[in-house]
Amino acid sequence: MDDQACPRCKTTKYRNPSLKLMVNVCGHALCESCVELLFLKGSGSCPDCNVPLRRSNFRVQLFEDPMVEKEIDIRKRVLKDYNKKEEDFATLREYNDYLEEIETIIYNLTNNIDIVATNKKIEQYKKDNKEIIMKNKAKIGREEIELEEILEIEKEMEELRRAELQRIEQEAKRQKIREKEALIDELMFAEGDAKDILNTFAQAKASKQEELLPPVPKITQFSTGVKFTRGSADQHIPIIEEGPLYRYEPPPVPDRCGPEPPTLNEIISNGFLQHVKRENETEKAGGYTSKLPCLRALQDAFSGLYHAS
Amino acid sequence: MDEHTLRYEKIDFLGEGQFATVYKARDVKTDKIVAVKKIKIGSRLEAQDGINRTALREIKLLQELQHVNLIGLLDVFGQKSNVSLVFDFMDTDLEIIVKDNNIVLTPANVKAYTIMTLKGLEYLHQNWILHRDLKPNNLLINREGILKIGDFGLAKAFGSPTRINTHQVVTRWYRSPELLFGARQYGTGVDMWAIGCILAELLLRVPFLPGESDLDQLSRIFQVFGTPNEEIWPGMKGLTDYVQFKQFPPQQLRHIFSAASDDLIQLLESLLAIYPPKRCDCTQALQMPYFSNKPAPTVGCKLPMPSNITRMEFEKPSLKRKLLENIDGGSLAKRLQF
Repeated sequence: MDDQACPRCKTTKYRNPSLKLMVNVCGHALCESCVELLFLKGSGSCPDCNVPLRRSNFRVQLFEDPMVEKEIDIRKRVLKDYNKKEEDFATLREYNDYLEEIETIIYNLTNNIDIVATNKKIEQYKKDNKEIIMKNKAKIGREEIELEEILEIEKEMEELRRAELQRIEQEAKRQKIREKEALIDELMFAEGDAKDILNTFAQAKASKQEELLPPVPKITQFSTGVKFTRGSADQHIPIIEEGPLYRYEPPPVPDRCGPEPPTLNEIISNGFLQHVKRENETEKAGGYTSKLPCLRALQDAFSGLYHAS
Repeated sequence: MDEHTLRYEKIDFLGEGQFATVYKARDVKTDKIVAVKKIKIGSRLEAQDGINRTALREIKLLQELQHVNLIGLLDVFGQKSNVSLVFDFMDTDLEIIVKDNNIVLTPANVKAYTIMTLKGLEYLHQNWILHRDLKPNNLLINREGILKIGDFGLAKAFGSPTRINTHQVVTRWYRSPELLFGARQYGTGVDMWAIGCILAELLLRVPFLPGESDLDQLSRIFQVFGTPNEEIWPGMKGLTDYVQFKQFPPQQLRHIFSAASDDLIQLLESLLAIYPPKRCDCTQALQMPYFSNKPAPTVGCKLPMPSNITRMEFEKPSLKRKLLENIDGGSLAKRLQF
């Protein structure tokens, strides 16, 4: 670690023990003071590779090799979209190929190989798998919430157990003190032989220790015993109401005030269609048929015939 | 004229669109809550053409239509140069219900909504009217759980051999492939396709085919149902706006709607048939086994409601709901522009 040095101001860890190296997405390191100096305005370009950077994206370098940091950044970004799981694939082989592909992409991006082509590939993948990405993101989000809940519960349990232990210990301590005091009192005021008294107390203590039952094993909460607090569980499932089954009833025939016009079937069987312009193929392709105007014209013609003023 | 303005007592402002303002009002005569849609006449230039076409369509068609599953036009009155339409007051619409994550839609609920929609539409088609703008937003629901088809601004009579129709109808996501290919002569199939998309949306709880452009819409349709050829859709190439598409293999609807029963898949396949003459009409749809099979449709009053709507007889007057889109549809941001 001692040979860590800021590439800009050449300060080393040896000369300045509080030196903190920061990295950004390009993977080039800078020390904290240089970052502050260069990125006063919030953004600027990397002195090494001129890539425009944002100050807020600088992080403390955890690994000696800044390339590792860069890879972590890239991996995080790539995996955000490449979030398919094994269940999304038919065979293990396909899944493995998919993982292999991710690694290639990350390697390429980290080592500046075919950046344009790789980015294009990612864009294409994003477009093709939009839905599945969204779905998995939601899934991951839900899983994270669940995990957090489990952790919280475990923490709670742990605290409870610690408090219990403390209580027991204190109790034991107090008991000991009480016994000691009792023994001294006895020795002070009793008439009998000191040795006898000591013996009886030792015996009483031994028997009491036997009496003290081994601590009851704590009932451990299984992680599946998560309290259900999220919305989905809150919603009560509606009671299924059994109504009457549906039966089709034709709508009431409008009062035409005239004789009953022929039905569609009658129109076809009686050859009415021969007297109307047939639909051409394009009209038929649009869902139009000459039966419609024929039926309508006949209905129009028949209605109102009985009308008297 | 004055008696009308006195008859309807304004309760609340519901919303405003390009062509109309909608108020919630109480009908003093019957003590019923109604929605009053006041058509704006606008500038003199607009006024030259008379009142706006969508309003005229609504007045013209709805005055003659009477069905429990169609929005009722109760009254029309003029006041100075304004025209106002009085409708049944509806509490919510299917879009709100589909988007409300607190509502669980059971198969019985879905069946009830679909039956009510199809019954209204069957009546409409029987009277030679195409709605041409079916979408969840236009399926209005009142607190009794009765669904009524609303917004007749694009509705038009059909079944004329010579009249050319425009294909620029129906909100894109619910637009049928023949309209997207620019068909000028079409039939009830355009409404049936929309019903299929709405039913799919009820199952998925997200729009089934949310195309970003007309071409994207077609490609989404073909990605699901497979790209048609002359064998599947004869005469397709003769349609005005026909474009050759990449070949997509058809997918199994069963895989998309994994929770749907077989009879429901059968209905969906029939409603969403690519070749328009193969699409079923309302009567055929209602006679399919899905509707008569179990589970029975939920009775109206047991249908789920958004939490802000109470089932009580009289509710607070400050119910802020944007009903305008439901009734007007004309020009709000929510409506897709094409």
